[in-house]
Amino acid sequence: MPTMDDFLRLRNIHKSFVGVYALKGVDFSLRSGEIHCLIGENGSGKSTLIKIISGVQPADSGEIWVSGTRVTRATTSEMIRAGIQVIYQDLSLLPNLTVAENIAFAELVKARRAMVHWPKIREIARAAIARIGVNLDLDAVVGELPVGLQQMVAICRALTGELKLLVLDEPTASLTKGEIDNLIKVVRDMQSRGITIMFISHKLNEVLAIADRVTVLRDGQMVGTIDRSELTNDRLIEMMAGKVLKQTRFTYADGHRKKLLEVSHLTKANNFADISFDLYEGEILGIAGLIGSGRTELALALFGIAPADSGTIKVGGVERSIESVQDAVAAGFAYVPENRLTEGLVLKHSVGENLVAAIIRQLVSPVRLIDEKRRDNTIAEWIRSLSIRVAYPEVAVQTLSGGNQQRVVIGKWLATKPKILILDGPTIGIDVAAKSSIHQIVRDLAAQGTGVILISDEMSEVVTNSNRLLLMRAGRIRAEIESATVTDTDVQAMVEAAA
Amino acid sequence: MKRLLKYNEFYLAVLVVVLCICITAANPAFLTPENILSFLKTASVNGIMAVGVLFVLIVGGQPDVSFTAIAQVVEYAVVLATLRWGGNIAIALVGACILGGLMGSLNGFVIHYFRVTTIIVTIATLNLYFGLLYVFTGGNVIFVVPSMFKHFATLPIFPMHGANGSTYDFSAMTLMWFAALLLGWFILKRTYLGRSIFAVGGNEVAAQRLGINTLWVRVFVFSFVGVLSGIAAIAHTSIVLSAIPNIIVGHEMEVIAAVVLGGASLFGGKGTIIGTFLGVLLFAILQNGLVLLNFSSYWYDVTVGLAITIGMTVSSYQQLRVRRSRVNVKVEQVAVS
Amino acid sequence: MSATTARRRRIPDATLYVILGCIVVLMVGLNPDRFPTLSNLQSMASQLPILAFLCLGMMVSMVGGGINLAIVSTANFTGIITALMLRLLTGGHSGDATLGIAVAAMVVGVIACLLIGALMGWLVAWIEVPAILATLGVMMLLNGTNVVLTRGYTISDFPDALLAIGNGDIYGVPIAFVILVVAIVGLHFVLNRMPFGFSLYMLGSNPIAARYSNINIRRVLLFDYMLSSLFSALTAFVMMGQLNSVKANYAQSYVLVSVLACFLGGVDPFGGSGRLSSMVVAVVILQVISSGVNLLRVDPFFVTAMWGAIILVLIAVNHFTSHWQEMRRLAKLRHPEKPAASAS
Repeated sequence: MPTMDDFLRLRNIHKSFVGVYALKGVDFSLRSGEIHCLIGENGSGKSTLIKIISGVQPADSGEIWVSGTRVTRATTSEMIRAGIQVIYQDLSLLPNLTVAENIAFAELVKARRAMVHWPKIREIARAAIARIGVNLDLDAVVGELPVGLQQMVAICRALTGELKLLVLDEPTASLTKGEIDNLIKVVRDMQSRGITIMFISHKLNEVLAIADRVTVLRDGQMVGTIDRSELTNDRLIEMMAGKVLKQTRFTYADGHRKKLLEVSHLTKANNFADISFDLYEGEILGIAGLIGSGRTELALALFGIAPADSGTIKVGGVERSIESVQDAVAAGFAYVPENRLTEGLVLKHSVGENLVAAIIRQLVSPVRLIDEKRRDNTIAEWIRSLSIRVAYPEVAVQTLSGGNQQRVVIGKWLATKPKILILDGPTIGIDVAAKSSIHQIVRDLAAQGTGVILISDEMSEVVTNSNRLLLMRAGRIRAEIESATVTDTDVQAMVEAAA
Repeated sequence: MKRLLKYNEFYLAVLVVVLCICITAANPAFLTPENILSFLKTASVNGIMAVGVLFVLIVGGQPDVSFTAIAQVVEYAVVLATLRWGGNIAIALVGACILGGLMGSLNGFVIHYFRVTTIIVTIATLNLYFGLLYVFTGGNVIFVVPSMFKHFATLPIFPMHGANGSTYDFSAMTLMWFAALLLGWFILKRTYLGRSIFAVGGNEVAAQRLGINTLWVRVFVFSFVGVLSGIAAIAHTSIVLSAIPNIIVGHEMEVIAAVVLGGASLFGGKGTIIGTFLGVLLFAILQNGLVLLNFSSYWYDVTVGLAITIGMTVSSYQQLRVRRSRVNVKVEQVAVS
Repeated sequence: MSATTARRRRIPDATLYVILGCIVVLMVGLNPDRFPTLSNLQSMASQLPILAFLCLGMMVSMVGGGINLAIVSTANFTGIITALMLRLLTGGHSGDATLGIAVAAMVVGVIACLLIGALMGWLVAWIEVPAILATLGVMMLLNGTNVVLTRGYTISDFPDALLAIGNGDIYGVPIAFVILVVAIVGLHFVLNRMPFGFSLYMLGSNPIAARYSNINIRRVLLFDYMLSSLFSALTAFVMMGQLNSVKANYAQSYVLVSVLACFLGGVDPFGGSGRLSSMVVAVVILQVISSGVNLLRVDPFFVTAMWGAIILVLIAVNHFTSHWQEMRRLAKLRHPEKPAASAS
């Protein structure tokens, strides 16, 4: 029986799609007024659980109890009436409309009136904004706002009704540090007013910071719920992966290695300023910094997507002018981008096609036609050497798991035989177990003499996998440290200092 | 003032004014009331349809190309019906609206249920309607139309007297155009339906999640452009006092171009009535100017084409520069030592 | 590259052949004496090229994620430039032009059309104007220019060399048809066996990822529109040859027909997919319908209406078959114990 304290209680929920299980026997409860985090890998059933809670999808079997009463027909309108609102990762805002209209739109729909009364809209919006005390311009166009403020708009919209439970799906994915702090403040404030909050996140450090309780899902089943008092990083990883993972540090065998890259005073207005650093063969140079620190912008300048305004780039002692991707690749650069799905891969094309995309112009016979045999051999070679798990190369790359997809991206770039490989957030959205195998690939690469620049949000990743670390903040390099001398918490603190 | 500069419509208005000045300098007959009222009258056909096209572009970004065919069919249907059964202009208008609306709604249903792109479906209906029109009418021009149209065209609204004793007047067609603009503005700005149209155009998934019935929004939009095309057909008949089967069809691109130049985005979710009005006005002034400056009508198409090409080149280039100079990072300023 | 299990197809190839088969049977049934004759076959073979060149030119632009609304206008423009050049080079006696002069005039025509293609490519690739707008503007510009150049008149009287393209034949096979076959083979190599084609498909599917993958998207787009325009030139020469005249606004309705053909042929209007073989079958289907209906002495406008109806029917059919395919695919997933990979 659900206790009086539980706002929401799910019992023995089963859900399958055409014979395949998404959720199996899930028991889940939310205490009133708590901040509860739900963690799970891709494929664990997180989104399905959210859809059932919000009424978008009906469960196949099981019970849902809200505030002590059994919900017999869980539809979206029913759940909204029960005070449950979900803010999805894409925020579901109307980018072409103003803040005021976005906030009030839900009310507009509910009111079912033919006419629109603009003063009323402004009034609704103002009331919602006042409830969380954030500074929003009612007439600003939502699409032009920074992501952090857009999120505030989404939260205000949720507040226009009677809100009892707010579900946030990966809310901090693209927020800057300041915006994350603001969000946490707002969340705590809502908690103090009695609203229950459910967070879905994969950022363990944030979970550790804010959650009252954490639930871990794996393969459609509940692994367990732990209280704040028992919460540690290792415990969470263990619950998520199902096994204990040890992380060893990367070691760099020094010894008069050649200088691969020398960057001097690289500057690009509104992106970064006065960047200077060196990179040697066999190194993994980490770049740590929060969103908005300029780290990706720096990578894009080196890679020719958004060339710098001034400064020099010397590869192997030779100065190179990099104004396009072609220039960068010719100079020896390769870049594994942050957004695997939009920038790294052409999803509808096959694994094989994605693998040879960067070098297709080299795989030609003397008559300028694609040499199919060489192409197929190249594909097979990379599939084998990177252990890409795929039945055959003609399969569309979108059917692969995140980890395998990333191998394809890496394979595409390794095929260009780069001197310098830049990786930007290489293990985002990849299973904990698959992450370490990607790290191993990168380490092996460095061991063979390639220079690696590793940019990442996750401090543990960047600290354990590099020998040297650059800290970036507000477009500048703040410090250069030996990775062996710090821990990830140190770096997290350094990067956030005076942000 | 600076805020005005952000708007596409402002530049368009400036362009219109500049154009007027140039043409008047070359031929003062341009800025006379008779002339102005005259080209406002001829522009009304395209102008009325443009309001509908604006709605389509807002809801989804892709243009509807079947509206001219709907107008042609309605024109014939109404003329033949009134020739056969008589009636008055009001009945003709109502009939036009109903027929146009029904034909347009087919587009809406097909696009929604089969989830196909607007342009493919409307190409299909364009061909279907236009082809059937010819099949059933044999492509014959109807030279004599009921007198109600002539009466409508010469309806006295605000009779004015010219310097040399001539009379001129607003035409009922121009008023219909302005009424269509007003109606369009009202729907878009003041009704829940209008805001839903913007919502669907901005983010359809979000709109659905909010509970907006996207089916009815779409059906409305396409019916609306059908209704407006029907009204435009009546206007056209009143102006030319005949029914010609292929005179409206063929101008789809011109109308669409006018709406796009007026600021409607091809990605959906954006567009204003003022911009649409200015776009249509620009093309009307161009055409009128060419006539007054004694250019042969051959030059009209080139001028329009040039106007569109230059217009969107400039507009796209501007947007490109805005994208390029986006502030990605607030770079910390360090004192130069 | 046959790795198209990856790419979603609208109407699968097999269905197209079935449709073709049915249509042929239907046409034979409706016209048992006149349809299945050699002369009809020859007639179809000589009409097919104009339609096919335009459809292929449209396909090339759509695969790259864009569209070429100016395809017919460019053809008219090329024809007019060639005709004017002929007139210039022969002092007004175009009909007497030697082979050399005819070729020279055609070369000038081709250059003119490539320049138009380059203009469109530049607008789309460098200024980043949406393709619909860029080609729409150029289309209107060309339409106007064509009218100004011809003053509304039809230009005619072309040399034998040109007329041969339109009406000549080799062993009973129309020359225009031969040119078409050569063009199709050439296009096959360009699209499927050359890095350009490979890059074009990738670009059409995801221009951002293509750019990040060392594909020079500006150059590819530029060549794409130039290639598309080249097909306009081929159309122009066959038109000149068959009709012995050029006009400012000939065949404008073909723009929309070619978009329809692409839809039928499985080209995704958002870019990135479209098999040449499906396109060819689609064009043949349209030609068979056109010829068969013509033989019935049916009102040509009825044909126009029919195109529209056919597309609507196809849309419905396509929707139901892909819906049915999706159901089948989901039902095929065996292991009920395994959590759905796409469910979270």
